[in-house]
Amino acid sequence: MGSERTEEPILITYSDEEALDEEEGGSRNFDDLEPVSWINDEDTDVPFFHRVDSDQIIYEAKKKRCKMIGKYVMGDLLGEGSYGKVKEVLDSETLCRRAVKILKKRKLRRIPNGEQNVQREITLLKKLCHRNVIGLLDVLVNDEKEKMYLVMEFCVGGLQDMLESTPQKRFPFWQAHGYFCQLMDGLQYLHSQRIIHKDIKPGNLLLTLSGILKISDLGVAEALDFFAEDDTCFTGQGSPAFQPPEIANGHEKFLGFKVDIWSSGVTLYNITTGLYPFEGDNIFRLFENIGKGEYTIPDEIENPLRDLLHGMLQKDPIKRFTLQQIRQHPWFLRKPPQTLEEVPVPPLRGDELHNMTVLPYLMDYHYAEDPASVQPQYYTEHERNAWAEGQNPQCYGSEWQEPVSNMLSKEGSPKKYPDELNYGSPDRHQTEESGESTSDSSKRKSKRKTTSCISVKKFPPCKQS
Amino acid sequence: MSSMPHNSSSQPSSGQKDVECTFGPEPGLYQTMSMLGQCCGDVGQVYLAIFKPLDIPIALKKFNVDKAKDEMENIQNEIILTRQLRHPNVVTMNAAFVMESHICVVSPLMAFGSCRDLLNRHFSDGLPELAIAYILKDILYALDYIHKKGYIHRAVRASHILVNENGQAVLSGLRYACKVVKHGRWQRNVHSFPPTTARNLNWLSPELLEQNLQGYNEKSDIYSLGVTACELANGMAPFQDHPPTLMLTEKVRGFAPVLLDCTTTCPQFADTGQENQNAQADSGVGDSVESNGNSLEGGPLSTRRFTDYFHRFSELCLLRDPELRPTAGQLIDHSFFKLPRRMNAPPLPQLLHPVIPLTKEVIACQNDQDFFTVTERLSDLDLNSCDWEF
Repeated sequence: MGSERTEEPILITYSDEEALDEEEGGSRNFDDLEPVSWINDEDTDVPFFHRVDSDQIIYEAKKKRCKMIGKYVMGDLLGEGSYGKVKEVLDSETLCRRAVKILKKRKLRRIPNGEQNVQREITLLKKLCHRNVIGLLDVLVNDEKEKMYLVMEFCVGGLQDMLESTPQKRFPFWQAHGYFCQLMDGLQYLHSQRIIHKDIKPGNLLLTLSGILKISDLGVAEALDFFAEDDTCFTGQGSPAFQPPEIANGHEKFLGFKVDIWSSGVTLYNITTGLYPFEGDNIFRLFENIGKGEYTIPDEIENPLRDLLHGMLQKDPIKRFTLQQIRQHPWFLRKPPQTLEEVPVPPLRGDELHNMTVLPYLMDYHYAEDPASVQPQYYTEHERNAWAEGQNPQCYGSEWQEPVSNMLSKEGSPKKYPDELNYGSPDRHQTEESGESTSDSSKRKSKRKTTSCISVKKFPPCKQS
Repeated sequence: MSSMPHNSSSQPSSGQKDVECTFGPEPGLYQTMSMLGQCCGDVGQVYLAIFKPLDIPIALKKFNVDKAKDEMENIQNEIILTRQLRHPNVVTMNAAFVMESHICVVSPLMAFGSCRDLLNRHFSDGLPELAIAYILKDILYALDYIHKKGYIHRAVRASHILVNENGQAVLSGLRYACKVVKHGRWQRNVHSFPPTTARNLNWLSPELLEQNLQGYNEKSDIYSLGVTACELANGMAPFQDHPPTLMLTEKVRGFAPVLLDCTTTCPQFADTGQENQNAQADSGVGDSVESNGNSLEGGPLSTRRFTDYFHRFSELCLLRDPELRPTAGQLIDHSFFKLPRRMNAPPLPQLLHPVIPLTKEVIACQNDQDFFTVTERLSDLDLNSCDWEF
């Protein structure tokens, strides 16, 4: 079947967004047309598969339709967390770039403590104000769509993206020092506000355009009771590789502030060496190793830093450094010389400057009143694949691609590329709903995003090109 | 580039040094007279006040701390920065103190008010070109000085340009300024988006508004100066009636505002003139000129003609690429600023006729009247408008 169709180029309407995103709404160009099923219909017997050259598959760039949430103009996707997407927005009054975390109630209900965590994050962030803690500026609710929008300060990327963009997965010491100092500033503020973050890791440390570090994702943070005698906590929900021995060993209660010190220590270890102090094939092995508290520091790490890492990664929380001890530590006090080149924020979808993604939507809104005047843009599968090579998926929320969650991934092996294409689209929706919270899925998603197509059609005007 | 101001003669408070030590932070030393205007929305009010020990008029700016909130940090920065700067074309401060729930800032009285006042009251189609030359040259001295000190002003606009009794222009609005020096290093570019800047958006440069990793530098102020040049010449600020998002896309696409005169507004010139004015401008030009020029056909805007020097000066300032824009120091030597001398222009106060500066004598004469007439007379003096921003 379909072999006669392949004689001509095929038009695929291509979208940066997910095809079935309800937010997009509206009708699709070719919705009414029957999808061509042969492309990924592997179950049916296809006796003879006509080869289509990637140069012959033609995509039409999706029109950037301007969409507003309150006073905010929506832009493109910045990343994805377990709770939902993070998109860029522009405040149409102040023209300030912002990020919005879109939370779907439907999704939240399926995550243990999901709604609770979000509520807690909102109440916490609302009362916090520090240059090294992500600022929550606005909360919008759409009851009809069961969505919540958390408008936050805009960040260009996170330390995790930056690490992953380098071959050795680490920063030069001077750069790491700068981030670590800011992390300690932010952490000191949080602790002064009786808040224990519980999930400090490179993936939750974001950077603004000016390079200011912002501690983000307070989803599992705990605010100590006002009348609590000390910082005793009972629950830990952070990322496994960054958990301290007391949690790994399953202690009933532990000192909260020291949890953040430990995970900051693991973070410092990670961003200076490119390694993790503790690893394991699965979470049990990992926790077993953390529980023993035995680790080695690579030889190239020399003394003041070595000593600081040892102090922060003390198995006994009582002996572990306090924030004050860290701040007085020689490594903290003395900025390492700027010898090696700075690791930059990796480009987003090929854009090194991280330009406003809202601009194309605004251009469409302000200048494209006459649809005839706007030439549709076409490009081929071949070109798209070439672009995809240089891509770097970015994430905002808690679900970063990191070795630990890779190890712990509950899902099977990542799906292969052809499956992701999901032409015909009905089952796209399913994948979108099922695959959560694992790095594999987030990797796959971002990849899939670039290849989502609405439908495949003959493309009459292009018959002879 | 020398930072010699073009008009360094006495300020209203000449012999400033002795005077300065006597300006104390005691509220009792100042007698508030009438309100001159507001600044940063309704957060601050500017009052005409008398400094009792010397019986001289001063400007007293009061910020309501309870209302300030977001602006609070800016106000603090402004006070600290103003203290660090000392230049005849940059606003000065005699004293700052807290009174009840207000922060009070005492500065010399600027007898002609802000350029926005002048436009609002007397020059709705724009100031005379020679007056603009005087004013912009002073502001370039101010910018040159501020830039060399390592700051970007980020809010150059007519309402932040004050003119004193002698016709000397003074740059104010320092609360939006930011440092170029960070950790002891001179940054090539900065990236911070000025907070609470909504009112200044129309004047800001495309590269600042873009908020990408490229960042911006002190050339951003030069763009704002270009927008201000258009504002002073046209009477209204460019993009005034545009929604901010359209202003943004226009600037990003390279459309720059123009000086409105017969070369830029008349249909017969539209083809040639306009393109020459602005090679990089595209379809946006037409819309904006139309919406900007309220009195296009037959009005003064379409009959007058600015000199080519002025046109060229504004185009240089408004170049899309910050690298190509000259520095403040380079622009001081632009031939536009040689016009007043070449044309034997009278000093600025005469060019601003019939505006009467708010001098000691004027105030004294008003003091004879009862209170109500004082305020009435003051409003006649065109100082009751809302754009006094020090």
